[in-house]
Amino acid sequence: MVQINFAQKQINAKIVYYGPGMSGKTTNLEVVHQRAPSNNRGELTSISTDGDRTLFFDYMPLDLGTIAGMKTCFQMYTVPGQVYYNSTRKLVLQGVDGVIFVADSSAKSMEQNLESLRNLEENLNEYGKSLATLPHVIQYNKRDLPDALPVQELEAQLNLNGAQTFEACAATGEGVFPTLKGLAAAVLKNIQNECGGGTGRTAFHSVAARPGVTSSGPQPRPASMPPAPQRAPQTASTRPQPTGAQASSSAPSGAPLKQTGFQPRTAALAAEPSSAPASAPAGQLMQNAAAAAPQPKPAQRPRPAAARPQAAPAPAPAKPAKAAKAPAPAAQPKRRAAAQPSSAAAPKLNTSGPSTAKTAAFVIVAAVIGAVVAKFALDFI
Amino acid sequence: MRIHDQQLRADRMVFYEKDVDRLNGELDAFLELSKARCALLIDRDGHQVTRRGEAVGTSADSISALIAGSFAATKEMARLLGEAEFTVMFHQGKRDSIQLQLVGERTLLAVLFDERTNLGLVRFYATEACQRLSDVFDSMSQEDRTAGLSSQFSADATAALDQLF
Repeated sequence: MVQINFAQKQINAKIVYYGPGMSGKTTNLEVVHQRAPSNNRGELTSISTDGDRTLFFDYMPLDLGTIAGMKTCFQMYTVPGQVYYNSTRKLVLQGVDGVIFVADSSAKSMEQNLESLRNLEENLNEYGKSLATLPHVIQYNKRDLPDALPVQELEAQLNLNGAQTFEACAATGEGVFPTLKGLAAAVLKNIQNECGGGTGRTAFHSVAARPGVTSSGPQPRPASMPPAPQRAPQTASTRPQPTGAQASSSAPSGAPLKQTGFQPRTAALAAEPSSAPASAPAGQLMQNAAAAAPQPKPAQRPRPAAARPQAAPAPAPAKPAKAAKAPAPAAQPKRRAAAQPSSAAAPKLNTSGPSTAKTAAFVIVAAVIGAVVAKFALDFI
Repeated sequence: MRIHDQQLRADRMVFYEKDVDRLNGELDAFLELSKARCALLIDRDGHQVTRRGEAVGTSADSISALIAGSFAATKEMARLLGEAEFTVMFHQGKRDSIQLQLVGERTLLAVLFDERTNLGLVRFYATEACQRLSDVFDSMSQEDRTAGLSSQFSADATAALDQLF
């Protein structure tokens, strides 16, 4: 599913190349990787067998650039085409936002195409999706084969949902980018439809009304979709051919984000009269201890969030309730002491007062009983 | 359960700045306590939500995708063995190790650590942190917020595609 991250101003969508074995899915992705501008593409990762068959998936992130102020990235996957790998194929489809079905145009592959298409629909149904509603395009690959079926025949058998179709010869790169562009337009249009501004819908509820498998119906073709350009990607081939895999710069998630002043734990801390001030978010993990035992909290609470201490000869940070009781000599035992749940240590503190009173009462009663018994014994003697 | 799952699948993952600030705060606290190198929060589809700590290799995106795939494969193994799912995974290396843990139902916490700390410490604090992160996600899902993509998104998207392809 699409991830929209307003903090990083980024939209991530998942695109999957699907199709029968050896139909050219990985070749499509390799062409995109070779010909996409180096600052837009990420590293191509492939989990494949020695025999050049995809074992799990191939993966490549593609940065489409900044769209309406949001950096838009496609996470592009291929699946293993062989029937044997259906379980892993199904896993890759999890959260998919758009599918490129790569069909082999040769006559002898028609049965595998149909089987793969059925399998795609079944696997999508497992995730509550359907080709009828999911953005997808079909690529008729290997058009250069002598026994390639006519497009009309392929359309009649494979394109039952009226999807946009493209002819391609992925080995030469022809038709690869038009196919991707067609799907990208459909996916982005879908994102706009479901998450567009000004609708007044809520982020977590807006897409809850998304039609599932049962509420099917042919997906309306986006009006803005390009009219299936059947051309070789000259523009792509004229671009400088980048060498070597170069990772696209991912979102600067490590960069400092703007502070909104939102301190989720402050209110909870304020409700605790005896707790230390929450000066930094780094102290938030201590909240369980504070909630479990409203006793005075340890002095170690304010930890500098910025500087992480280096290797750890220093005593383990938190939970001094236990560590203070029995300071361990070595670093490792101290870690163990620190690893004790503070909630387990807290009840000891809570119950220490009442148990002392009980002990004193017990001693007094025992002394009185002893005195009485002694008196009787002396009287008896 | 099934309806719940379907709802989760249908929902979009939308993160606002304050959400990521809260998540980052929890991750910073976790790193401080566990002395791990890096913490990655990844949704189950393989998209990175946020990262704290040191940089991981050249491509955090690829690592995120592989972690999500690895976890998905493990879940399938669990299903075949009659388990609901394995919620924790651990990969040990000579220098660096990775601990993976499920946060709620939709995200994964990946912790990269080295010899500066140990598995027990990381696992203990990761469990605590996952609970806190899960609480953050729960509160996010209950908030009533508007999804605010610009109305120009579609037009800009067409232009961007024309430029790229």
